[in-house]
Amino acid sequence: MLYFRGFLAVVMVGCGLVILARMLAVANAGFAIVPGVLLGAAMIALGIHRISLILRIRKIT
Amino acid sequence: MAAKRPAPAPELRRSVTPWGSFAWGYSDVGADIFVGLGLVLAWAAGASNVAFLFAGVVYVCIGLAYTELAATYPVAGGGQYFVMRGLGDIFGFIAGWAVLLDFTIDVTLFAWSSVDYTSQLAPVLTNSLHPWLHFLAVLGLVLGLCLLNVIGVRESTAFNGFVSALDVISETLILCLGFLFAFQPQLLIHAMHFNWPAPYQLMLGTSLAIVSFVGLESISQAAQETQRPASVIPRTSVALILTILIFALAYSNLALGLHPWHPIVDASGHPMQFWQIFPHNADNQGKAVALLAAQVPYYGALAALYVPVLGAVLLLISSNSGVFGSSRIAYAMSSSNLLPSIFQRVHAVFRTPVISIVFFSTIALIELFFAAAPSLFPALASLYAQFFHGENGLEFLADLYAFGAATSYSFVFLGLIALRFSDPLSPRKFKIPLNIRMRFRGERVELPVIAVIGFIGIFSILLFTLRTHALGRIFGPSWLLLGLILYLVYRRHRRMPLLRSQPRDWRTDQANILRRAGELELMDEYLANVKASDARRASQQV
Repeated sequence: MLYFRGFLAVVMVGCGLVILARMLAVANAGFAIVPGVLLGAAMIALGIHRISLILRIRKIT
Repeated sequence: MAAKRPAPAPELRRSVTPWGSFAWGYSDVGADIFVGLGLVLAWAAGASNVAFLFAGVVYVCIGLAYTELAATYPVAGGGQYFVMRGLGDIFGFIAGWAVLLDFTIDVTLFAWSSVDYTSQLAPVLTNSLHPWLHFLAVLGLVLGLCLLNVIGVRESTAFNGFVSALDVISETLILCLGFLFAFQPQLLIHAMHFNWPAPYQLMLGTSLAIVSFVGLESISQAAQETQRPASVIPRTSVALILTILIFALAYSNLALGLHPWHPIVDASGHPMQFWQIFPHNADNQGKAVALLAAQVPYYGALAALYVPVLGAVLLLISSNSGVFGSSRIAYAMSSSNLLPSIFQRVHAVFRTPVISIVFFSTIALIELFFAAAPSLFPALASLYAQFFHGENGLEFLADLYAFGAATSYSFVFLGLIALRFSDPLSPRKFKIPLNIRMRFRGERVELPVIAVIGFIGIFSILLFTLRTHALGRIFGPSWLLLGLILYLVYRRHRRMPLLRSQPRDWRTDQANILRRAGELELMDEYLANVKASDARRASQQV
């Protein structure tokens, strides 16, 4: 289960990176990219948070 | 011969595990996007992602507030208990009564939408084609869930847990594949630039977006039935808040920037963007996620088959959370003398609050009838058009849902702020960040800045709701007024204070709450805090 959660977290970081990169590619659109950029950043943050939690659990056990 | 001891009154059993607690919340909040997405896209158009972002920020504040309160006071009452404890009986009643409106709407709205999702595979259930069949299907679901909840919580929790897990995986898959293979940032920017809504529509869309974030109440509802709540609640709530926020933001951005796998054209053959299929089409609004999933290249062929089923089942368990939640709030309000004691009666065999379940399911059925009436009886449609701007059933239910949520959450923020001042001694295993330290009546207290920001946000959403929802501004306040009359009659009958609060020993209550929750370390810490505070006051008096 832990490996599966880890995999999901990595997928989330990857997906966030893709969104962020694609939104930044059209950065000249101004305000319209803000929600997409926030989404990408939030996905990366959540993914990293989950990975760090999983690593901490593995250290304990 | 020893005298017979009276049998202890039956209590709600603690059978909800950490995953069960997450699943109760997820099954309620997670399903909201299945309903909210279509409605928001229909009204907020190119600003749908901004509407979700605004509502999402408010939701994070609400989530943090609930997490702190539910971990500090793990009782079944949820919002109404926190408000009653912070602001007094009458405000606790108003908050609880508003939440009860939300949960009864939850039962009907999600059962309704569950049938809408099913209609994607079984068109015979489409509301605009066969309104009576649609109505009977929703009716059957509500009655079935009522029975399930009378039987017991353990069965329902297992059911929720399985479907929630399946849905998290499925939604992640839809979003990942959608963003990788069907998302065009240029389409998103085009939609935002050329289809930005008028301020009225944006307000309406934002108030509907909050519909996608209602349900954290479920976790605090389950607190009284959760094992080790002070430790479990923060963990499950934070996970829930982040998951739901990302899903809502992701779906709205994807829907606006989706390049459909199969071209979508209007009546005159002109190509349309995906989100444009939602305005003025209630059938599509009710099954937005299934329509979106079907447009993801290749994967959409499979998703078109299973996402409607998954959506229907998830919405069904969300509806189930409504039955569960309303009965537990009524149980808690009754325990606090805010509602008659009949709602506190627990079934001797199943140990579930059977009278509450049946009563609030009946209210849900009345709401269903009112929502379905214009499609069932075409003669009534003109009456609705004249008095209620011709709102359809789904909009009527969403209106009331937004009103109930905004009202109760506004009071919860005020309750949280008040409790930080009136009860600084209770140990808070989770405390929302950003606090201003100060002294109040000799005690060190902290003003939660996020609660103040959250209150401003949710109160503005309440104002948006009252300003833009024709039915919500009539029926929402009417529900509160009716409740207040019943409350005053009941309190007068019981010869209790009408507007003031009943005297309560909160210190003993808090120690008992923590003891019953199995949080013995926190109970000891609380008692030590109380002792130290009393000693400090005594020394100051000398």
